Amino acid sequence: MRIPRLIPAVCAVLATGFVAAAGAAEVAHDRGDYLFRAAGCGGCHTDEKNHGPALAGGPAIKTPRGTFYGPNITPEPALGLGRWREADFIRAMREGVSPEGAHYYPSFPYASYTRLTDDDLRALWAYLRRQPPVAQPNRPHDVPWYLRPRSLLGTWKALYFTPGAWQPRPDKDETWNRGAYLVEAVTHCGECHTPRDALGGPRRALHLAGTRDGPDDSVVPNITPDRKTGIGRWRKSEIVEYLATGMTPEGDFAGERMAEIIDRSTSRLTPDDREAIATYLLSLPPVEHATRKEKQKPVGGRDEFGF
Amino acid sequence: MIRQAVLKTLARGAFALLLVTAAAYAESDPEDIIKYRQNVMKANGAHMAATGAILQGKVDYKKELADHAKALQAINRDIPALFPKGSDFGDTKALDAVWSKRADFEKRAKASQVKADAFAKAAGSGDMKLASAKFKELSDSCKACHKDYRKEEK
Repeated sequence: MRIPRLIPAVCAVLATGFVAAAGAAEVAHDRGDYLFRAAGCGGCHTDEKNHGPALAGGPAIKTPRGTFYGPNITPEPALGLGRWREADFIRAMREGVSPEGAHYYPSFPYASYTRLTDDDLRALWAYLRRQPPVAQPNRPHDVPWYLRPRSLLGTWKALYFTPGAWQPRPDKDETWNRGAYLVEAVTHCGECHTPRDALGGPRRALHLAGTRDGPDDSVVPNITPDRKTGIGRWRKSEIVEYLATGMTPEGDFAGERMAEIIDRSTSRLTPDDREAIATYLLSLPPVEHATRKEKQKPVGGRDEFGF
Repeated sequence: MIRQAVLKTLARGAFALLLVTAAAYAESDPEDIIKYRQNVMKANGAHMAATGAILQGKVDYKKELADHAKALQAINRDIPALFPKGSDFGDTKALDAVWSKRADFEKRAKASQVKADAFAKAAGSGDMKLASAKFKELSDSCKACHKDYRKEEK
């Protein structure tokens, strides 16, 4: 009688430990699973809103340079990645090239994923291989005619893309380096938070400084520590709290895509990883770059005289 | 006879007053409704932030927890009423889905109401661990609704 009673108790203790570590109800089973969630792959490859099958193809992502549909990345042989080898996957992530040698559009954030380490890429690949195959054909991207020749993307890459895994900075501590790796490689924050120029290349001087031309016509805020236009007034603990629960220091809640990312990714990171992200963000050079439109209040308007 | 006439006049007066009130209500400027809604939501956020600071142990105002919880309960009693028809146009971050997917929107709002009730009960009990758990659930319901029904920054 004593043993059966003990087992659930032990399980409960173990489970509590895990939940505390993952910061969410669902627990990552291994490194690949953890990275998969952290990178939020499902955001672009699963059409959750329409109850689409997991990883079999994502929702439309509208950008100023076309509408993109994340492809089927299940191990289905004909319509997914079933025939890929590990080397094909690593090349796709590291170089933005398909097994047939075609360039991918940078809507697939290989500009960030290129910084993943070989070990992490292999763990991710192992995770993807374990997912159930789904026979769902890919939806072609909807891009303007002048962006259709994929060879153009070679030029884009020459201008903006530097392949290669993230190199830790020896002059910074472990937390900072972990945060940098998470932000710049895994969670790929800059893909939305860094404004792009006319050719869709990131504007380096405005790294993470926000944009009014985000996906789906969204305004993406400045997350550099500028006090006026960024998150310079946020304390580190407030950033950590936001990434865990979605609540801002004002008690407001993240909406739309960021709420999704918090659900899918940042709330499931370990508390240490959230701390690392906050540490890294607050260490960035503050960039003054307003993304919100200033509220226009004409003098003598309704508010002032109450009629 | 006289009494009846007086009553009739009174009834007519009351009816007229009702019409005037109804007309005035119907004619609320949508922008005033939006402004009102934003102010109520700001108050909601302020209580959420204050509650969060208490529960995280950043400040020692445990005595006030139940009051914040009651305010949150009151504000979340009828969120859909803050989004009447016609208040979708103007300086608002509310997405069209608030009106086009009304049944689902109301379901989400109801979820927040239930969570706010549960949180108020937990906060009143003095059990901080329970209150934290219920607060987390309320937070999740705020985020869930914002995810589908509010435009990020505009």
